[in-house]
Amino acid sequence: MRVRTSVLVGLLVLVGLLSSGAEGAHKLRVVTTIPDFKALVEEIGGDLVDVETLARGSQNAHEVEIRPSLMLRLRRADLFVENGLELDAWSDVAVQGANNPKIVRGAVGRVDASRGIPVLDVPSTRVDRSMGDVHPLGNPHYSLDPGLAPIVTQNLLDGMVRVAPEARETFEKNREAFLARVEDAMVRWRKTLEPFKGAKVVVYHPDYAYFLARFGVAQAGMLEDRPGIPPSPQHLAQLIRQMKDERVKVMLVQPWNDLKLAQRVADEAGAKAVVVPTMVGGVKGADTYIGAIDYNVNALAQALR
Amino acid sequence: MRALALIVISMCTALVPAAAAAQDPAELRRQIEQLQKQLDSVTDRLRRLEAQPPQPTPAAPAPADAPPGPGVAAPPPATAPPSAMDLARPRQPFGLYQQRGAGQLLFDMGIAGDFVGNITQRNVERAGGGTFAGQENRFFPREVELSLFGQIDPYASAVVRFEAGEEARGADTSVHLAEAYLTLLTLPYGTQARLGQMRNRFGWSNEVHEHDLPWVDRPNVMRNFLGPEGLQEKGAELTFVPDLPFYVEALAGIFNGDNTTAFGRGTLQHPLATGRIRTFFELGLEHAIQLGMSVASGDTPDRNRSTILGWEARYKYRPDGWLHPLVTLTGEALYSLRKVDVGVDLDGDGSIDRVSKRERDHSGYYAGLEVQPFRRWAGGVRYDWSQYPTTPGWEWAIEPYVSFWPSEFLRFRLAYKYTDRSPQTRDAFNLNDSSARKVDEILFEASFILGAHPAHPF
Repeated sequence: MRVRTSVLVGLLVLVGLLSSGAEGAHKLRVVTTIPDFKALVEEIGGDLVDVETLARGSQNAHEVEIRPSLMLRLRRADLFVENGLELDAWSDVAVQGANNPKIVRGAVGRVDASRGIPVLDVPSTRVDRSMGDVHPLGNPHYSLDPGLAPIVTQNLLDGMVRVAPEARETFEKNREAFLARVEDAMVRWRKTLEPFKGAKVVVYHPDYAYFLARFGVAQAGMLEDRPGIPPSPQHLAQLIRQMKDERVKVMLVQPWNDLKLAQRVADEAGAKAVVVPTMVGGVKGADTYIGAIDYNVNALAQALR
Repeated sequence: MRALALIVISMCTALVPAAAAAQDPAELRRQIEQLQKQLDSVTDRLRRLEAQPPQPTPAAPAPADAPPGPGVAAPPPATAPPSAMDLARPRQPFGLYQQRGAGQLLFDMGIAGDFVGNITQRNVERAGGGTFAGQENRFFPREVELSLFGQIDPYASAVVRFEAGEEARGADTSVHLAEAYLTLLTLPYGTQARLGQMRNRFGWSNEVHEHDLPWVDRPNVMRNFLGPEGLQEKGAELTFVPDLPFYVEALAGIFNGDNTTAFGRGTLQHPLATGRIRTFFELGLEHAIQLGMSVASGDTPDRNRSTILGWEARYKYRPDGWLHPLVTLTGEALYSLRKVDVGVDLDGDGSIDRVSKRERDHSGYYAGLEVQPFRRWAGGVRYDWSQYPTTPGWEWAIEPYVSFWPSEFLRFRLAYKYTDRSPQTRDAFNLNDSSARKVDEILFEASFILGAHPAHPF
């Protein structure tokens, strides 16, 4: 009996020690699904936050493998930021496996960064899977539209203040300073892309809707037959014909897309395929929020020139 | 005639005020100036709108409690909640629900359909010794599953699954409750509890549904020791994820013990106790391995103890930037320690004089390799070796297969399976004057998903 009691007490102590973890000087621990929000939270939080992301910039955020290592990151999070609009619906499984009540749906530590943004491509008719991998709530690839940075950072700020109200002033100051820098950069970006207003590009997958609309560049077509569905030869032939007819000179491609196919189609249409990532860290030199948009603006301008 | 008179009267009525106004040139000038101002205002507004990027209808309303920051564009206003009068007014079903926006059902639902078929020798069919015992040389719905899942409230989520399938040759398709459990998400100290009827988290493949398995059939060792559908029990599981630098999940469970293949006592007075510990390591960005160990211990109907130990390993190599793994290795092993009642004929007269308890320690394992060089195509092979829980003999099998996904929601699979059973394997595989010792089978499978389907963990 005494042995059993000792074992039980020992187990309880062990559980207590393991579950408490290393406390010490506690920074606000934030985990985001995609690196764009990591970059934004770092701008707002500065030294007061420790941020990790589940997906890397070079990964397709639609299809992230739910490894237990993601659950481990979420296990310690005070705040969890998701993109919403069904881009990162997989994160629910990761959160559930993390056993962290602070970030489950409905908890104060959960932030949906899409709240309040004017969503593009919201279906106005009934949708089904015959249309491909459609998003019934609208296009979820809004995170690198600098015009939406005020709304997105407001959502992040609200969440950060909910879990660390004592740092509100610092967060607000950092956010204002960051938005001022975005505003300055916006003048530069608009100037760079001004000559190409109304130009047409073709995209591999509709990830660029917000970015293109912001700078007045038109999406003339898509390499995928329908979102997420590989193109048929007929579709490719039609796309090449359309690109030639409409003199489309650029195809925008993500790092994880089939670059050989994109290059082949672009070559046949007399255009060029350009890798333009839609997430921070998608390519070298796009490691910050402003840096990533700088990269995309310059890459697009150079390709359209 | 009457109509003509009416038209004339109407025109006069309309023209009289205009004519009266026209009599005053100053009034007319004032009206023109007012119209000019309105036109200027509209033109100016149009010019400003054209300067902005297109802003279609917002799909997600802004939170009511999120005031815009300094210099920030205000998010669109939230939809007004229904008033008391709205609530009191008679309404159609879902009348209030529609005000929350189309498509908001408060939970997700999906259907997964899984059809399998097999072609094998006649003697195997007569002996009922194929992979789908009793369904040899048939194509049938193995599992059509309706899943409903979502949050119950801020503290818990729930999953309910109904399954229909043809369980015997030519039998009517039966519908039954496959799973129904709730998960308490906000327990302290890194714990979480699951209560209800569920597929037990025992090893890697037991929790995986038939249509999500990487093979056409469940591995032989799992079917031999846990039954054709694996371990599904009613009870509770508690998991604990400690805050450590590496991932560890510990699990403990208490169940009725209804599984007739392995346990079957079916009472909480002598419950089935389960446990599992699993860990995970990343070897760089591209390599990952999960290791685990499980235990399940309960009583059989004849009050004998049955304990099954399990070991699992799963490795994936996913080149950076790939949307799928290139190489996946999966393996599980089971070791069963089981007491059985054996009748002893002491005097050799052919009748049983005494029942004695004997220990039957039997085991089995499988190992699978899958290579997926293209997004839509994968090929692999699985090797099985397994004894039987209480009877003598063993079997081994090899199963190469190829899978094709036209899209994420549709999959076809074709496999060949060769099974070889030892001469000691009698009884179940030697029926109706036929033997199923050596079995060749062509297996095929078609699976689809309609609607929502939760993502799969590693």
